[in-house]
Amino acid sequence: MPMALIELHNLQKTYRVYHKKEGLRASIKGLFKRTYKEVQAVKGIDLQVEQGEFVAFLGPNGAGKTTTLKLLSGVIHPTSGTATVMGHTPWHRENDYRRRFALVMGQKNQLWWDLPAQESFRLHQQIYGIEPEAFQQTHDELTDLLGLRDLLSQPVRELSLGERMKMELTAALLHNPEVLFLDEPTIGLDVVAQHNIQQFLKYYQEKRKITILLTSHYMKDVAALCKRVVIIANGQIQYDGSLSGIIDETTNRKLVTLQFADPISDSLLSSLQRFGTLVHLEEPRVTLGVTRDDVPAMLTSILDAHDIDDLIVEEPPLEEVIAEVFARVAETSSTQRDEDGVA
Amino acid sequence: MAGYRPSYLTVFLTFARNSLVRDMSFRTNFILQCISTISWTVMNIGFYLIVFQYTDSIGKETGWGRNEFFVFLATTWIINSLVQTFFMPNAQQFSELIRSGNLDFALLKPIDTQFVISFPRVDWAALSNLFMGITLLCYSMYQLTTRESDPLVLDWRVLLMYPFYIVCGTIIMYSVMITLASTSVWLGRNQTLYNFWFYITNFSRYPMEIYKVGWGMALWVFFTFIIPVLLVVNIPARIMARPLSTMNSQMWQLAGFAILATLACLVLSRRVFVRALKSYRSASS
Repeated sequence: MPMALIELHNLQKTYRVYHKKEGLRASIKGLFKRTYKEVQAVKGIDLQVEQGEFVAFLGPNGAGKTTTLKLLSGVIHPTSGTATVMGHTPWHRENDYRRRFALVMGQKNQLWWDLPAQESFRLHQQIYGIEPEAFQQTHDELTDLLGLRDLLSQPVRELSLGERMKMELTAALLHNPEVLFLDEPTIGLDVVAQHNIQQFLKYYQEKRKITILLTSHYMKDVAALCKRVVIIANGQIQYDGSLSGIIDETTNRKLVTLQFADPISDSLLSSLQRFGTLVHLEEPRVTLGVTRDDVPAMLTSILDAHDIDDLIVEEPPLEEVIAEVFARVAETSSTQRDEDGVA
Repeated sequence: MAGYRPSYLTVFLTFARNSLVRDMSFRTNFILQCISTISWTVMNIGFYLIVFQYTDSIGKETGWGRNEFFVFLATTWIINSLVQTFFMPNAQQFSELIRSGNLDFALLKPIDTQFVISFPRVDWAALSNLFMGITLLCYSMYQLTTRESDPLVLDWRVLLMYPFYIVCGTIIMYSVMITLASTSVWLGRNQTLYNFWFYITNFSRYPMEIYKVGWGMALWVFFTFIIPVLLVVNIPARIMARPLSTMNSQMWQLAGFAILATLACLVLSRRVFVRALKSYRSASS
C-alpha cells in the first residue's frame, strides 16, 4: 500500500507540569519540593491524510489540536509514536523537510514587528533560497489576491490584526509549501477579514492542490473549506469523516420552522409540541426540533389543518451539533476518570 | 534544485541591514543609546586616570603601567562592544523566545537554528564603543611606541595575533552567553543573563596577575580553566601591550590553551544548544 502524504501512528505527547498550589506558603514549599503531574496532551493519534486534502481539526480548547500541529511541524518531540510527512519525520528538523511545509499560527507572529512586512519577505527569500523570479511571481500573486499591495511598506506594528494575518499567510506561502498547517488563522478577526481569508485559502488550495490541515473554532471556516473533519477531544480522535456525517451521526433532529397565516393559539402551540420540542417562538413563526423520522407525518398533519405561509426544514446549526459532540466526550471522559479512581 | 542552499552571509547582511533600518526608525533612542555608551567609556577612563594618580602600575613589577593598562582597557572595550553589538541582544531575545513559545518559527526555517537565533539582531548603537576602543588603543600604542625610554617595537606577528585573539575572546564570550540563554528551556525563565554578564566581565577586565596572590589563585584557576573568561582580554592585551620577547613560557602556554579553550567552548555551547532544542516544549498558543 502506498504511504499517505501525512501518516500518524499512535502519536503521543505527555507534558510534565509543575503542580503549583495556591498561596504563599505553598509557593515557598514549592521552592524545595515540587510535585509534578503528567498531562497527556495527545493520547495516541492515528491519522492518514492524502495529498491535496483540506482537513479541519475541531475540538475544545486543550484538546490536543495545536499540539498535533506542532508535532507535525517538528517544533516539539513526541513522547512516543511515529509520524511522517512527505516521507520525513518532522522532529528530525531536516532542511529538506522544512523547505516543503509552512505553519501559520493565529496567535503568534513571525514578521519583524518594527519593519515593513516587505523586509521580512526578503529575509524569507534568502533563508529559503527562493529564485528571484519565482519569488517575485509568488509575491505578486499573493499580495494581489490578499489585497496587500499598498500595505507592504508600512511597519507591521501599524497594521490591523486582519492585515497582519494576511501578511503572515503571505510570508508562509512565499516558498510554495506543499503542506500547510494553519492553527486558528482567523482567530479574533472580523467577519469580512475572516471571509477574505477563507476565500483566499479555498482558491489557493484548489489552484495549487496543496495539502492543508486547519484548526479553527469558527464553524464557518470549516464549512466553507473542508470536506473532511477530524474531531479531537481529550487527546484522541473522536470522529473522522465528512462534515455532514457528523450531523447524521450525532443528531437525528431536524429544525422545522413554520410561519402561520393566523396568530398561533395556545392550543395550537401545545398540539405542535407533541411533534417535537419548541426551539423558538416569534409570532407567527415557530421553530421546533423534530426527530427526523417524524418530520413527514408532522408536516402532513399540520398542512392539512392550517394555513401555512412559509415552511423551512433544516439541519440544526453546526455549532450546536459540535457542542453536543464535545459535551458527550467530556461526559465519557469524566466517567472514565471516576472508574479509574475506583480501580 | 539550484539556489536551495541559503547563503549565510547574505542572510546575516539582511539581518544587519534590517536591524539598522529598525534602529534608525527610533532615531532619538538610537542617539541616546550612543551617548550613554560613550559617556560610560569616558567615565571609565576617568576612573582609571584617578587610579594612576596613586600608583604607577597595576601590581608591582607586572608591567602593567598606565599606557599598557590602557591598551588592556581598550581591548576590553573592543571585545565587549563586539559581544554587545552582535550577541547580547540575541541571547536575551533567545531567552524570551523560549519563554513565549515564539521559538517555534525559528525551528521551522530551513537554516541552522543556532545561526538564526544568534544573529538576527545587531545593536548598532553598541558599536560606538568599538570606535572608542580603537581610538584608545591607537592613542596608547602611540604613547608606548614613541616614549623616550625603552619604546615598544611593534612586531608584525603581533598585528596578526591581536585580531585573532580578539575573535577567540569574542567566541568564548558568545559561547558562555548562548549556553546560559539555552538553560531557559529547562528553567522556564532565566533573567540572570545581564547580571551574569556583568559579573564575569568584572573578572575579565583586569590583568590576571592581580589574582595570583593567596586565595585569589582559586579565582584565577576557575576563570582560566573552568570558565575561561580571564583569557578573553588578557591574552590579546598582553600580546599587544608588551614585547613578545618578554612573554614567559607560562604565558605562551596560556596563549596556546586559549585556542583550545575557544574551540572547546564553541563545541560545548553547541551541544548544550542542541540539547535545549530537543527539550523545547513550546508555550501554548
